[in-house]
Amino acid sequence: MSSAKKVDGAKNGGGANRVGGDKKVSSPKNMNARERARLAAEQAAARKRERRILIMVIAAFVVIVVAGGIAFQAWRTSRAPSSVSSVSASASPVTVTNGRPIPLGSAEAPVTITLYEDFHCPHCAEFEEQFGSTITQAQDAGSARVELYPMAFIDEGSLTAANAMACAAEAGFGQAYYLGLFANHTLQWSDPQLIDLATKVGGSPTEAFRTCVTRRAHADWVTSVNAAADTNGVDQTPTMLINGKEVDIATLTPEALKTMIKDAAQK
Amino acid sequence: MSSSTATESRLAATALWVSTAARLVLGGVFLVAGGLKVIDPQSSVAAVRAYRLLPVSVATLVGWGLPFAEIALGLLLLAGIATRVVADAAAVLLIVFIAAVLSAAVRGLSIDCGCFGGGGDVAPGQTAYGTEIVRDVGLLLLAAWLMWQPRSRFSLDRLTTRHLTEASR
Repeated sequence: MSSAKKVDGAKNGGGANRVGGDKKVSSPKNMNARERARLAAEQAAARKRERRILIMVIAAFVVIVVAGGIAFQAWRTSRAPSSVSSVSASASPVTVTNGRPIPLGSAEAPVTITLYEDFHCPHCAEFEEQFGSTITQAQDAGSARVELYPMAFIDEGSLTAANAMACAAEAGFGQAYYLGLFANHTLQWSDPQLIDLATKVGGSPTEAFRTCVTRRAHADWVTSVNAAADTNGVDQTPTMLINGKEVDIATLTPEALKTMIKDAAQK
Repeated sequence: MSSSTATESRLAATALWVSTAARLVLGGVFLVAGGLKVIDPQSSVAAVRAYRLLPVSVATLVGWGLPFAEIALGLLLLAGIATRVVADAAAVLLIVFIAAVLSAAVRGLSIDCGCFGGGGDVAPGQTAYGTEIVRDVGLLLLAAWLMWQPRSRFSLDRLTTRHLTEASR
């Protein structure tokens, strides 16, 4: 730091001389020592003032950006969910059984895709964005069915969403709700948002569904599937198994997944 | 600077370029790190909470606000505005990051630092604390360099101080 001061001193000295030369008609050489000292002190004070203003402006800029950002994110996570269109897989109501996943799609489908996902896990949302349509197509075609283990380890929203997912499956619009949850994964998943989502995905938030969501009717079930995932040795989300065989998601492409499902159906 | 020798001015010119590179790298990293986190507020909050250092409400605010602070500092660095002041702030932030990752490692948590999005708990053995700390220390060195040598090329600072620097060349 001491050398920095030295550099600055030299630089400022040069500047001071020049500014002094601009201001006065006389050259610095003709100034007496007291004049020079006064000028230097004035300039040092001006520099200090400028620096203080600069720091304040920068601090204000950062504070405004951060405050605006917080307000923006608060809005983003608490707004109403957007609707999800073109949901074709119409599932019949399913029974939610402790320790058992939610089945989505035809029970006769030859291929079973097991998914372990947290509705607030960012990689799950990416997975869904990349492979969701391929899986939905296979479900619609009747070639595959999904067994869903909604995990709840990220935050409260994971739990409320997992619970509401079970409520929706029970009410018969599980598939659409599943897609809606991932399409809106930046939401915090308050009860009103979860109830609103039912409408947005074309389901009907009956009184039973509302109560199921607000009372966390399936909280125990969520705990039980998380325990089951633990027992099954699943320690990260998303995890996908095709007919019981784990798939390496990191290197997967939608095309490869399509082939895998087709191959699994023929076996 | 009539007194400076040729060697000294060559060193000064080199420092100018080193500072330029340090400023652009540090600013770029901050901008990217903030940008990747800002798109997913939930996981940003989850990443902060995974450190188990802050109460939920504070962690939420940090998770939402921190990416914007990073973007702001990144933009200021890339533009080269008030480089020394911004480098001070960046250094403070990096020291906080390093301390947080160290504390997670010491407490035996298994988390991803969430430095560039993502974050949260990971399986034991999947942690990368060493790499994360080395990277942050490297960035801290860049910030320290800029605190020492804030002058650089292609910066807005240069426009405002041109009359001074011009005289010294």
